Amino acid sequence: MDSYQRPPWSARLNAILERLRQSEDRLTLVLSVVIGALVSLVVVAFILLTGRLAARMYPAGGSGWRRILVPTLGSLSTGYLLWRYFPFARGSGIPQTKFAYFINDGRIRFRTVFGKFFCCSASLASGIALGREGPSVQVGAGLASVIARNLGLSPKQVKALVPAGCAAALAAAFNTPIAAILFTLEEIMGDLHAGVLGSVVLASAISWMVLHLVLGDEPLFHVPGYRLVHPVEFAVYAVLGVVGGLGSVCFVKLLLGTRARFMRLPKWSVWLQPAVGGLTVGLMGYFVPGVLGVGYEHVEMVLNGDIVLQLVVLLAVLKIVATAVCYGTGNAGGIFGPSLFIGAMMGAAVGGVAHALFPLHTAGPGAYALVGMGTAFAGIVRTPMTSVIMIFEMTRDYSIIVPLMISNMIAYFISLKLQTEPIYEALAHQEGVHLPTAHSRADADRLLVQQAMRPAPVVLSPDLRIGTALHQVEDGAFDAWPVAGPEGLWGMIRTNELEQAEEDGAGNRKIADILDYRPQDGHAVDFPHLHTDHSLSLALQRMGASGLHVLPVVSRANLRQLLGIVALNDVLDAYGVAKRGAGPERSE
Amino acid sequence: MAAPSPARSFLGTISLVFLAIGAMFAIDMFLANTQRVESHVAAARLFRQGRDLMQLGRNAEAIEQIKGAIAIERGNRDYLRALAQAQLSAGHTAAAESTLADLLQSDSTDGLASLIMARVLVKEGRFAEAISYFHRAVYGHWNQAAADNQLRARFELIDLLAQRNSKEELLAELLPIQDYAPSDLKTRTRLGGLFLLAGSPVRAAEVFRGILRDAPSNADAFDGLGEAEFDRGNYLLAQRDFQAALRLAPDQQAARQDLDRCEELLTLDPTLRGLAPAERLGRSLKLVELTQKQTSQCTGPNPSPELQELFDQAVRAAEAHVSAARQSEAAESNLDLAEQLWQAARKECAPPPPSDSPLALVMARIAQ
Repeated sequence: MDSYQRPPWSARLNAILERLRQSEDRLTLVLSVVIGALVSLVVVAFILLTGRLAARMYPAGGSGWRRILVPTLGSLSTGYLLWRYFPFARGSGIPQTKFAYFINDGRIRFRTVFGKFFCCSASLASGIALGREGPSVQVGAGLASVIARNLGLSPKQVKALVPAGCAAALAAAFNTPIAAILFTLEEIMGDLHAGVLGSVVLASAISWMVLHLVLGDEPLFHVPGYRLVHPVEFAVYAVLGVVGGLGSVCFVKLLLGTRARFMRLPKWSVWLQPAVGGLTVGLMGYFVPGVLGVGYEHVEMVLNGDIVLQLVVLLAVLKIVATAVCYGTGNAGGIFGPSLFIGAMMGAAVGGVAHALFPLHTAGPGAYALVGMGTAFAGIVRTPMTSVIMIFEMTRDYSIIVPLMISNMIAYFISLKLQTEPIYEALAHQEGVHLPTAHSRADADRLLVQQAMRPAPVVLSPDLRIGTALHQVEDGAFDAWPVAGPEGLWGMIRTNELEQAEEDGAGNRKIADILDYRPQDGHAVDFPHLHTDHSLSLALQRMGASGLHVLPVVSRANLRQLLGIVALNDVLDAYGVAKRGAGPERSE
Repeated sequence: MAAPSPARSFLGTISLVFLAIGAMFAIDMFLANTQRVESHVAAARLFRQGRDLMQLGRNAEAIEQIKGAIAIERGNRDYLRALAQAQLSAGHTAAAESTLADLLQSDSTDGLASLIMARVLVKEGRFAEAISYFHRAVYGHWNQAAADNQLRARFELIDLLAQRNSKEELLAELLPIQDYAPSDLKTRTRLGGLFLLAGSPVRAAEVFRGILRDAPSNADAFDGLGEAEFDRGNYLLAQRDFQAALRLAPDQQAARQDLDRCEELLTLDPTLRGLAPAERLGRSLKLVELTQKQTSQCTGPNPSPELQELFDQAVRAAEAHVSAARQSEAAESNLDLAEQLWQAARKECAPPPPSDSPLALVMARIAQ
């Protein structure tokens, strides 16, 4: 359609949208706002719908048999739907989102989003002992992906918007906007310095605002104010860290083991397997109804010290088994909520015992339940920063932060030691997918220039004749050489530059005459260089960009102070690929 | 890498997204409202059950029900107040205090919460703080029947002060209440009694006289007036009022006891006008006998020499034959001896003899 045929406002609007479409950064930010709002509304609908369905499935005063029948039938029906129509909507949603982000250019189908929304809602409402937050993340990421692809954005832009969807979903599901940002960066992307921080923050903030618009300002858990009763409590919190760490490891191992066993069963049984989880949790729920569902009302009760010690211990053990079986059998639902539940129960158990032994020196079990939530989260999900901020945001209780950090770190390290592979990575491995992890990237970045650098074998003076310089470097193994005078380093000169000058009959001229960089010019240093604390991956990048196989290593305090050189072979040697001095460092 | 291919128009997709946002917002609001309504109904049901259980005295179960209601509808102050009341009734004062502290932190003018907090503190024996909360309840905000509730709170405070015998504070609370307290006979009778407890028999007498003006045959008012006159030392008037009360209500045990006490006092009192010297002497001897008996009960078989001397004097006084001319002089001497014995009794006896017994009152009158 020609523009002159349109009404002027339409043409202007189209022009604005076209300009927006062309400007990637601006478009990403605008779409982050839109995605934040939509994802929040969808996640709120998901939570409310699940609640309404649960109220219908478990009416007040209903028969105890419902607690067996409803989860069994619920998981059977959703299991069939997942198998038949929505195979990518099984499980938590976090590993699936990571697959999409790292492997499929952020591509998640609308069908998967739809399936996740309704199957999860139905299965969680029926009492399956899984959480709603992981699925929310996949729904959020999926919506971001669907919108971006339908707008005709490039795969890079689609990929950039997926984390915004994740953050918006988590902010709405947990009512924790900061933890949502941290989790997205720490777990989904595995990089706290990711370039999409702006859109993630924006989407999370918008999501939180929309959530408050619809549901009002209520924290997920209401807890009485706590304070540290006595410094001896730090020791009890450390014990809680140990218990939380061990409990987390047990949970993760049981879940992975159960899942591995069910994955080995014949293919035809896949649609039936979720019913095993439903029946298991139903049988448990018949005797102990607290095991059913997400169980946040029991978390709140235990936070307020309203559950007796024996029941708390029983709930912790049963929930570990129920969640492991429900997840392992392929039901749709996450492990965030169960992690918090298990943590709260473990915390209350430790706190209950401590309070019974030292009533004057310890707070009530509720305080320990609060810390236990973060502890289990840190131990199971392995995102210690997220867990601290999440608990703070959920409860809005600042006084518990220090004990939480102590306990979290202990649980985190125990989990790291006894279960080397984080749960989401292990789940991905079971699917045969190897995702990049924060640790693998950190390992790569852990190799530094100072581990590969060597003293410069030859340093050329800028006043040296080119012919003489060529004579000095003719046996050298490198393709470039540092040039330094009394003022310090001038830069690097390539052997072929010297050879070219010689061929051009400039053998009697000084190196300074053909060098691009002169300290007396007063310009800032702009020759390629490295510092000792740079990573070797950066060294490789700079070698690639400059075309040099040798780079000078200079002081950060004085860029003209030459500390040594790093050659390509040195870098490869540090990575264990090549032997030092294996061949000349000459660029092709 | 493939170039972006806008399969649908950019504008179309954006419009669809905004349409979806609008639709989802409508769905969310519908679901949220439905949930609110259902939650409210469920919470109200639990709360009602909790209140019923409280009335049956099953406070532990009531607490569970009310907590369930609060878990559904957190911000409801009525539920929180009821929970605190149930916790108090169940004897969980620390839990009740914690519940009320949260309530009062969000609204320190909450009259009912302040009143329950005062009751909790009374139960914990923290009277000074309790009185402060009673005052907050008296001057606080009440959702309904504010004046009645404030009066109720003040009467609870008054009862506490009366129980603790804090006469000055009690009087301070009673004075303002006179103007706006209900004018029914029961309340006025109660007020009169409280003035007596506050050590203000004059005001009490005024109140009872007022009642008798409106209801001349009110036995309680006569009894109260009798007590007021008794406290003022007008024993004959008191006797008359007690008799009037008993005439109107012969079964009234309190009036009977009051009259007996009054008459006992009148038979002991040697300071009454118009007594013949012989009668006065006889009463003085009776007082010596009673005070000696009181003192010897406290000292046991081995009194101090000084006290033994007083006992000996008492024996001699009882055995002495006094001529008619020396009766007044002997009566004075006996009263002096009785006074010394009474002082010794107050010193030796633990606890000291009750100050409102007829003997004590007569001895106090003599000391004046």
